[in-house]
Amino acid sequence: MMDTVGITDVRKSFDDEIANVSSVDELQQLKVAFLGKKGKVTGLMKSMKDLSKEERPEYGAKVNEVRTHITEAIDNRSKVLEEAALEAKLREDTIDVTLPGRTFTLGSPHPLSRTVEDIEDFFLGLGYEIAEGYEVETDYYNFEALNLPKSHPARDMQDTFYISEETLLRTHTSPVQARTMESRKGQGPVKIICPGKVYRRDSDDATHSHQFTQIEGLVVDRGIHMSDLKGTLELFAREIFGAEREIRLRPSYFPFTEPSVEVDISCFKCKGAGCNVCKGTGWIEILGAGMVHPNVLEMAGFDPEIYSGFAFGMGPDRIAMLKYGIEDIRHFYTNDLRFINQFKATEDGGVTNESI
Amino acid sequence: MKVSREWLNEWIPNEVPVNALAEKITRGGIEVDEIIDYTSGVKNLVVGYVKTVTQHPEADRLRICQVDTGEETHQIICGAPNVKADSYVVVCKVGGRLPGGIKIKRAKLRGEVSEGMICSLEELGIKEDQVPAEYQNGIFMFQEERTPGEDALAALLLDDQVMEFDLTPNRKDALSMAGAAYETRALFGGEVEVPAHEVADGSETAGLEIRNEDDEAVPFYGARIVQGVTIAPSPTWMQMRLIKAGVRPINNVVDISNYALLEFGQPLHMFDRDQIGSDEIVTRYARDDEKMTTLDGKERTLESGDIVITNGSEPIALAGVMGGEFSEVTDQTTTVVIESAVFDPVSIRKTSGRLNLRSEASSRFEKGVSHEFVLKALDRAALLLEQYAGGTVASSLISAGELDVRDTEISITRAFINDHLGMELSTEEIQDTLSKLGLDTKVENDALLVSIPSRRDDLKIKQDITEEVARIYGYDALPSSMPRAGTTSGKLTDEQKKTRIVRHQLESLGLSQTINYALTSRGKADQFNELEGTVELLMPMSEDHAVLRKSMIPHLVDNVVYNRNRQQKDVQFYEIGRIFKSNGTGALPEEREMLAGIITGEMNRTDWLGTKVPADFFAAKGIVESVLEKLGLRDSVRYEQSSRFDALHPGRSADVLLDNERIGFIGELHPKYAQQNDLDRTAVFEVDLARLLSVKQGNIIYDQLSRYPSITRDIALVVEETVAADTLVRTVETAATKHLVDVFVFDVYEGDNMEAGKKSVGLRLTYLNKEDTLTDEEIEKQHTPVLEALESNGAQIR
Repeated sequence: MMDTVGITDVRKSFDDEIANVSSVDELQQLKVAFLGKKGKVTGLMKSMKDLSKEERPEYGAKVNEVRTHITEAIDNRSKVLEEAALEAKLREDTIDVTLPGRTFTLGSPHPLSRTVEDIEDFFLGLGYEIAEGYEVETDYYNFEALNLPKSHPARDMQDTFYISEETLLRTHTSPVQARTMESRKGQGPVKIICPGKVYRRDSDDATHSHQFTQIEGLVVDRGIHMSDLKGTLELFAREIFGAEREIRLRPSYFPFTEPSVEVDISCFKCKGAGCNVCKGTGWIEILGAGMVHPNVLEMAGFDPEIYSGFAFGMGPDRIAMLKYGIEDIRHFYTNDLRFINQFKATEDGGVTNESI
Repeated sequence: MKVSREWLNEWIPNEVPVNALAEKITRGGIEVDEIIDYTSGVKNLVVGYVKTVTQHPEADRLRICQVDTGEETHQIICGAPNVKADSYVVVCKVGGRLPGGIKIKRAKLRGEVSEGMICSLEELGIKEDQVPAEYQNGIFMFQEERTPGEDALAALLLDDQVMEFDLTPNRKDALSMAGAAYETRALFGGEVEVPAHEVADGSETAGLEIRNEDDEAVPFYGARIVQGVTIAPSPTWMQMRLIKAGVRPINNVVDISNYALLEFGQPLHMFDRDQIGSDEIVTRYARDDEKMTTLDGKERTLESGDIVITNGSEPIALAGVMGGEFSEVTDQTTTVVIESAVFDPVSIRKTSGRLNLRSEASSRFEKGVSHEFVLKALDRAALLLEQYAGGTVASSLISAGELDVRDTEISITRAFINDHLGMELSTEEIQDTLSKLGLDTKVENDALLVSIPSRRDDLKIKQDITEEVARIYGYDALPSSMPRAGTTSGKLTDEQKKTRIVRHQLESLGLSQTINYALTSRGKADQFNELEGTVELLMPMSEDHAVLRKSMIPHLVDNVVYNRNRQQKDVQFYEIGRIFKSNGTGALPEEREMLAGIITGEMNRTDWLGTKVPADFFAAKGIVESVLEKLGLRDSVRYEQSSRFDALHPGRSADVLLDNERIGFIGELHPKYAQQNDLDRTAVFEVDLARLLSVKQGNIIYDQLSRYPSITRDIALVVEETVAADTLVRTVETAATKHLVDVFVFDVYEGDNMEAGKKSVGLRLTYLNKEDTLTDEEIEKQHTPVLEALESNGAQIR
C-alpha cells in the first residue's frame, strides 16, 4: 500500500489555513505556500521519485487532485475576497446624494422680455414680421405722420420728452409703423408687430413710469376689414390669456385710427365673475386698436381708396403686472435679483396652456 | 363732464336704472368713470323751519334752535355761526344717518337737549370747494320757502346720481347736457327737449357796437344787453345743479352764465356794461408784451397769439380764457353784457396752456364750439337773467362775423361701410342707426348723403360715419374673421434670432437680464465711454434723468450696489439696449445696440465643496468669448491691453477688437471707483452688439474627419513678463506654414525660480495632415521655423 498520508495532511492543512484567510494578500501567500516552487504540493510531487513505477501514476493523480482542489479553492476564495474588497470600496465611496450638486448658476430673463417674446411668437406664427425702429424720433414720424398735427392737444409738452423742436423720445412705437409703411412704397401686404421702449413725461410712481414697453401691430392690405381686427385679437386673447377668454370692443378715440376701439378681455383670474384684478367688472382693458386712419395711410404712401388696415397696441408692462399681480411698475426697472429671479422657469402657461 | 341723472331726465326722460344707463353709455364709447350717489348712506333728512334761535347759556359758540320739522318742533343745538331764525334748513332727525356712517342720536350738549342735527352741505357729501361762500363754515339754508317736514334730499335735488363722463378728445359734442341728451337718445331712443330760450328783443344795439379785427381769431362775436339786474344768490335748484356738475355757485349772474354753459356747451362771459368804459367791443390779437389784469387780480403779459376782447383801447377780457378785472360783474352791477362767441381753438389752447389757466370755458373753446348752440345759449342766459336776476333784455342780438349753422354733408356708400367693418348691413339698418344720432340721410343712387349738424362737426370723413354706425349698432354684432392678406413669411431676422440666442446663452452662463432707464445724469453719461456729443432733453424732469446714456455700465453698477445692499453677494447681470450719441441739435442721434454685463462676488459657488469661479477679468472675458464663439466670431476678435477709462483698473482692462476695429471693452472696476461704490472686485464688459450681429457668417461648412492622428508638441519658453501671450501665439501661427491646426497657452508661471521680470510660458501646438500620416521629419519642417521665430523675438526656449 502506497503512503498517501502526506497528501491527506497537505490537503487538511490547506483547508485549515484557507479558512483563516481574510485578505487577498494572505491568499496570495497561501497560494505560494502550497503551489509555489517550494510549496507543499510541489514538495509532494518531489517525493514521487521514491515510489515505484506502478505506484507513481496513482500517486500523481492524487497529488493533482489536491492541486486542483487547492487551485479552485484559492480561485473561489479570491473571487469572494475581491468582491468584498470592492464592496468595501463602494461603501467607502458612498456619498450623501441629498447634498447640493456643483452649482452652475442660472440667470433669469427679465419678466418684460419673456412677456414680449411670448407675444412676438404668437404673431410670428400668424406671419407677422417684427419691425424695430429709433427710440429717438422726429416730430414728423412720432406725430404728424400719425395724424397728430402740430395743434393737436395730445401733443402737449408735458407728455413728451423733447430733445429739440423737431426731435423727441418716441412716445409710442407707432413711428416704426409709419416708417415701415413708407419703406414699402405703397405696396401691401404689411404685417408687422413693433415691440420697443417708449418714453412719456410722467413722474415715476407705482403705476407710472417715464420709460415703459409697448407692442404695436399693423396689417395693411387690400380688403382688410374691422372684423379681421376682431378675429385676430380674439385669437390673441385665447392663445395668450387662455382658451375661454372673450373679448369686447368699446368705442374709443385715437388720432391714427378710425374707428377706434378699446379692447377688453374677460378676466383671466376670475373668469368674468369679478375680482380685484378686473376691479369687479369681469373685464380687463388690455389693448387700444382700430382701423388705420386714411390720413395715416395716405401720408405713408398708401392709397386709402385701395388699401385699408388695422392697428393695435398694448403694454407688456401692464400685461405682466396683471398676470403676476406685480404691484409696482418700478420693479421692472429697479433690477432687484429677488424680483428678476422669480421669472426663471420655462413653462408659465397655466393649465390651459396659454402662453402668458 | 359730470352728468346729473335728474337734470338729464329733464332733457330726455329715461327710466333705466343708473347702472344700466352708465353701462350702455360706456359701451357706446363714453366711459362712465364713476357714479356718485348722493342718496347713499343718508336717512331721515327733512326740511326744517327754524322758528327761534337763542344763545346756549353754557357755551358761547352754541345756539339753541327750535325747529319745526313738519309734525312737531324739536330743540336742536347748533354750532354754526350763520344759523338764524326764519330760515329753512336741512335737518337730520334722531335715528337718521349721514354719509361717512354718522348716526344721529338724541343728545345733551352742555346740559341742553338736542334732538337732531342741522346740516351743512359738506355733511351731505358735497366737496368743500363746491360749497357757495355763504354756506362755508356754516349750515345750508334754502333760498326760498319750503314746507317743513318734506324730504330734504328731494328738495335739494340730491335724490340723484351723477355720472362722471371720461371723454376722449373727439367727443367734445358730449361736453354739455345737450350732448349727453343726444347721446342718450342715440342709445335708448326718445326725444330731446331743449329748454326754453326765447326772449323778446330790446331796442336794436342799445348803444353798443361790436367789431372783429381778425376773422380768423374771432369768426363770430355775439352779445345781448340785460338791464335792471339785481345781484343775489341764485335759486337753490340752480345752485345744486351747478354743485353736482362740479361748479361752485357764486351769484345769480355768474351762475346763469355757468348754467347755460353746462346746458349747451357754449361758454359765455358776463361784463358789467357800465364798467366797459366805452360803447364798443373790439376783438383782436394781443400785442406782444401787452399787459392786462385778469379778474383773479393777476397782471398778465400777453403775446401776439393771444386773443383779447377790448373796449376799443384796452383789453377787458382774455378771450375764452378769463375776464378782465375792471369789467367783471360785481355786487353793484345792474346792466350786463352777455358774450357768446366763437374763437380760434388753437389760439385758446396755446394761451390757456401758457398761462396755466384751464377752465370749463377754455377747455370747450379749444376743442371748437358748436355753432348751432352759440345763440341758443346766449338767449337762454338772457331769459334766465330775466327770470332769476330781475333783468330785462335791453337789446336785440348785437353781433359781428358770420355764424354758419348749416349742416354739412358726407357722401358714403353702403358698400364702403360694410367693407370697412366686415358686416352686411342693409341701407335701412344704416339709415336707422344714423337717425338715432340725429343724422338724416338721403339715398341717391348708390350713395348715402348724411347731414351733419354743427353739434357733430367732429364728423368729417367717411370713416367717421362708419365709426358712428359701428358704435351705435354695437361692436358685439361685429363678426370675427382673419385677414386674407397676401402671404408673409413671419420669421425673425438673423439679428433678432441671434439676439435671442445671445440672451439665452448669457442666462445659461448665470447672468440675469436687466432693463434700465435710457435717461441718466450728465455725470453718468460721461463714464465708460469716449463718445462725443450727449443727447440732452430740452426740459428734463430731474437731474438724474436729464440726458441719454452713452454706456450701460453706470446703471449696471447701480444695480449691483442696490442688490449688494440687499444681502445679494454674488451678482451677475447683462443688459441689451441702446446707447445714444448726438449728431448735433435737430438731427437724429446715432443709436447703437450694445451688450453689457457686470459680475461681482463669485460665480458657480458650491460652498460645501469649496469650489467657485471668481468674478474677475477672466470670467468676464470668458463670458464674452463664449458669446463670440456662438456667433462664430471667436477667431475674428482680439484683445488689447487698454487704460482708456478712469473707472477701470489700468492693468486689468482690455479693448475688444473685431477685425482690428475697436467694438468694446472688458475690465475690472478701478479699486478706487469700486470702493466709492462700496464694491469689491467687480468686472464689466460692453460690446457693440449691432456690429457683432451684422457680420454675415454664411453657411456652416462641413469638414471631413481626418483618418490620421494629430501630433502635439509642447514648447516651454522664458520671456519678458510684459510679452503678451497673444503675441507668442501669433508668432507661432505666422511661422508655421502647414499642418498647424491649433496653438494654445497651457501654462504661465512667474515667481520663485524665475529671474525677476521674466515669466515662463507653455505653448501646446497641434499638427495634423488630413491626407497622410505626419512623419517626424515633416513636423520638424514646421516646428523648427516656429522655434526660430520665437527665439528671434526674444524668447528663450527651455
